[in-house]
Amino acid sequence: MRISYEWLGDFLDLEGVTPKDAADVLTRLGVEVESLTMVDLSQIVIGKVLEQKPHPKSRNPLWIHQVDLGDHVQQIIAGAPNAVPGSLVPVALPGTTVPNGKVVKDMNIAGFKASGMLCSADELMLGEDHSGILILDRGKPGDPLTSIIPSQAIMEAEVTSNRPDCMGHLGVARELAAGLDRPMKRDFMPAFTGTADPPGRDLVKVTIDDPDLCSRYIGGVVKGVRVGPSPDWMQRRLRACGVRPINNIVDITNYVLFEYAQPLHAFDLARLSGPAIHVRRAREKEKLLSLDGVVRDLTPDMLVIADALRPVAIAGVIGGEETAVTTATTDILLESANFSGPSVRQTSRALGLRTEASARFERALPPELALAGARRAASLIAELAGGTVHREWADIYPRPQQPVRVNLRPALIDDVLGTHVPLEEAESILKRLNFHVKVMGDGEWDVLPPVFRLDVTIPEDLVEEVGRVYGYDRVPATLPGRRHERWTPATPSLDRRLDAVRDVLAGAGFTETWNPALVSGRKLEALRIAAHAMRVSNPLSDDMDTLRTSLLPSLIEAMALNRDRGRPDIRIHEIAEAYLARVGEHNSAQPEEPLRLAAVASAGETADEGRDAVYRLKAVLDGCIAAMTAPPCIYDRASTELFHPGRCAAVMLDGRQLGYIGELHPTVAAGAGIDGRVVAFEIDVEPVVAASRIPRAQPLPRFPGVQRDLAAIVEDTVAAGVLHAAIKELAGDLLEHVHAFDEYRGAQVPEGHKSIAFTLTFRSPERTLTDAEVDKVMAEIKLGLEKRHRARFRE
Amino acid sequence: MTDPSALTAEAIAAIGKARTATELERVEVEYLGRKSGRVSKLLEGIGALNPEERAALGKAVNEAKRTIEEALSARRSQLEASRLADLAETEAIDVTFPGPPLERGHIHVLTQVRRQIETILESLGYQVELGPEVETEWFNFEALNITAGHPAREMWDSFYFSPELLLRAHTSPVQIHAMLRIKEPPIYIITPGRCYRRDAPEATRLPYFSQVEGLAVDRGLTFGDLKGTLLYMIQSLYGRERRVRVRPSFFPFTEPSFEFDVSCGICGGMGCKSCRHKGWLEVGGCGMVHPQVLRNGGIDPTQWNGYAWGFGIERMAMLKHDVDDMRLFYESDLRFLEQF
Ligand SMILES: [Zn+2]
Repeated sequence: MRISYEWLGDFLDLEGVTPKDAADVLTRLGVEVESLTMVDLSQIVIGKVLEQKPHPKSRNPLWIHQVDLGDHVQQIIAGAPNAVPGSLVPVALPGTTVPNGKVVKDMNIAGFKASGMLCSADELMLGEDHSGILILDRGKPGDPLTSIIPSQAIMEAEVTSNRPDCMGHLGVARELAAGLDRPMKRDFMPAFTGTADPPGRDLVKVTIDDPDLCSRYIGGVVKGVRVGPSPDWMQRRLRACGVRPINNIVDITNYVLFEYAQPLHAFDLARLSGPAIHVRRAREKEKLLSLDGVVRDLTPDMLVIADALRPVAIAGVIGGEETAVTTATTDILLESANFSGPSVRQTSRALGLRTEASARFERALPPELALAGARRAASLIAELAGGTVHREWADIYPRPQQPVRVNLRPALIDDVLGTHVPLEEAESILKRLNFHVKVMGDGEWDVLPPVFRLDVTIPEDLVEEVGRVYGYDRVPATLPGRRHERWTPATPSLDRRLDAVRDVLAGAGFTETWNPALVSGRKLEALRIAAHAMRVSNPLSDDMDTLRTSLLPSLIEAMALNRDRGRPDIRIHEIAEAYLARVGEHNSAQPEEPLRLAAVASAGETADEGRDAVYRLKAVLDGCIAAMTAPPCIYDRASTELFHPGRCAAVMLDGRQLGYIGELHPTVAAGAGIDGRVVAFEIDVEPVVAASRIPRAQPLPRFPGVQRDLAAIVEDTVAAGVLHAAIKELAGDLLEHVHAFDEYRGAQVPEGHKSIAFTLTFRSPERTLTDAEVDKVMAEIKLGLEKRHRARFRE
Repeated sequence: MTDPSALTAEAIAAIGKARTATELERVEVEYLGRKSGRVSKLLEGIGALNPEERAALGKAVNEAKRTIEEALSARRSQLEASRLADLAETEAIDVTFPGPPLERGHIHVLTQVRRQIETILESLGYQVELGPEVETEWFNFEALNITAGHPAREMWDSFYFSPELLLRAHTSPVQIHAMLRIKEPPIYIITPGRCYRRDAPEATRLPYFSQVEGLAVDRGLTFGDLKGTLLYMIQSLYGRERRVRVRPSFFPFTEPSFEFDVSCGICGGMGCKSCRHKGWLEVGGCGMVHPQVLRNGGIDPTQWNGYAWGFGIERMAMLKHDVDDMRLFYESDLRFLEQF
């Protein structure tokens, strides 16, 4: 909300308080001032136009003015024609800078000297109007402009949703007064009431269908008003709040909105059928031409103000064009009502129309505010537009606001804040904020919040009131002291345990990514991995309408993006949740959210490059599992979506499947626009963490080991893993370690066969092994492999 | 037959001429080789000599061997000394030539910042608690005192799967889960994790982001304790010269409620372009836990009280590393990720 510093001065003495000071105090109190715009008018003087004639030579229309500046007359040229002789105008003399930043210089325009500038409202930052020179309604030639218009300071402030009272200058001023400890010049409830007969309630019949949606409706009648422009000061303040002045009646309703935060509406009484006011839900197919010139389709969940025949306003949002106040209006019905916040918000959203009124009703205004606003507006109408205000308005108030008393144990203030606030100071603060404090016999305080503070209901709310005015910066910072017999021992978080994996991956050249969990459901379907996908019912767009069921599509997209940006060789990974709907319970039950580790890497172009990349990636995954101090995993030939049918393994740990590793299916890579091969894995990490064991130190070997190589030629279908297991079984206790290090096809290996080379390490814990012993074991291994797998051996 | 002393002189001359260790070795083999060395050859035909002559020749040959060996050894040291003395020239490399690039992967900057935050708060005795991202209405809103129709609900426009199920808008539901699970305070937890709000992506906010919230429930906790905790966290993360400002604000789940700011690292709070002349940079929200929220977590607010705070990990990372566009964190552009 925009706050005019000048306006605040109506309610309290701002002597010695600069706009910056006021902004700082308000921010400290909780009305956060985000920006402060200063408009310095002190260099501008008032001039009176004596003579105006067109420039004889200029190609564009220009006017030459003779302007009386009190002690001399100056010739000034302007482009706008509205500064006719007799007008009082703001003048910027050569050498000055006008508020919008323009520097004024002596000029010569086609032979005529021009000294100074006549200013528009826009140039003085007093409004958006730049169509003509700002014409002043009073002032003495030669006087500074600030003799009639104070320098302006506009604050842009953020008001929290619990403080609708601060959506008006009166509420903001009250905060400032409490913060500065200065008295308020004006009471909340104006004393003004109408006196004319007959009673207003006899002139317009008001009915409310649903008190839950409208808890109060005041309809004031004012007759014989003269509609015309509102005074300068009012127009200026409205402009400061970002509102265009229209006429005195409409301006007054807006003015009171920005003062009290109570939205009001003025109907042309003559154009209301009945005249009657019926607050009801809209009927099917009803329409309303609203003040902004749009025909609005109404629905039965919208609350409207109707006359005897039709809707004339959308409650709390916008009025109707047909019953609006015009220059022809003489009698008005002034509406000051209280509409339910959720209902107004819903209607405003449905219409896509957020107004100053709806923004205030949404925050749940107190019904008592309606009367204060109505009285203030009526008194301004009587003062500025004439007319007679009728007595005893219609005031239908089916749900009167109930006072809420709060019992406060004053020690709570110190207990919660953690510092000592003297009781007198606390009491003084509450009183400054218009709370009534009664000290009870037992020392407790019986506190009655002011009617405009519906947000205060519990003792902690009062602590906050005291705290924010006392000053939170005065409370010393401490750390909690603990003297407990119970505690929870420190355990590293899951994410910190996975740092070991991140380190391995970083060492292997994989960069970590964080990708959005919301992805395109259509893409998951195209990849055939959408069976367990959770779909958002109100997505922002269809490229993020579904929770991902796998991290791989995100990583593949990230790889494609980086290739597009000129990286041929990419290694990336991610650790994040996948989301899997439980079978048969899509969108009705919470999904499983397994934490996953996934990685992708570029793998060249050829089949051999792809194969080697798969083996390298297996080594990386083995490294990750080892870093988690879990037992090594086992790889079984498998096939699944996304992966190459001949180059995919299930990753098994302790008999449980963690996920898959292999080369991506060529169509998956191509589908993402990647032309080479890609290898990838994705596993569940929680089972790995669960399998993690603290490593136990083993004694170092005392005797030397013996290494032997063994190259077994077998048929293509015999897997290295099977030979590996067989060797371990055949070798017995002396075999310490066996590892396949080469796979070979070609010369000396028959068609349909391959040679797999192993390194075997033998060792005894008790003695140095002899060659003869090892030869014997090797012979047994060979014999066994020959029998079981028809292996032959290369030397 | 050569005279041993003449041969010695010849050998010493050859040794003196040797310029390298290899040449010296060749000289050594020529004169002192076990079978074909010229010194050994002096003894050829010794069998024909009489005992005295034999003894004299033996002595002379041994003398020659010893002299030559000494000369060799001296020359060897001399050559080694001069080789070492010349290393600066003979083995110089161009040290300005770059090493081949190390293909090191990078840990995501948000992980790094999350890691720092967890470590800092763990040092104060807080434990990490996790919870589901797909939450129920009750945990995401009701339990946190954000009732249906509450004007503050606007702050958490959410993605829904069904009227009851949505993507959590903050990690606060984890606080409720934790209170219900732990049951009896003291509770000191932090809740890092991903959150979602229905805001169109722009430089300063995204529909998906990550938060860390903290919750302390204990006896006699104060606003001062909350302030101290925030100050400890901020100074640990950004440096001890940084200050924290706490401003009143409003959240349904805390009372009193605050927003907290850190003093600008560039101007130190005086106001500069980088902090938009405010001197302070917004970090997050905090407050004393609302008694109703404690009750919803199964904790008796007459016995215990608490404080809580929360902030975006992205925001912390942006402040720490001068990142000006939040979208960069989730775009997986290596040119960005490799800067950290
Ligand atoms: Zn700064």
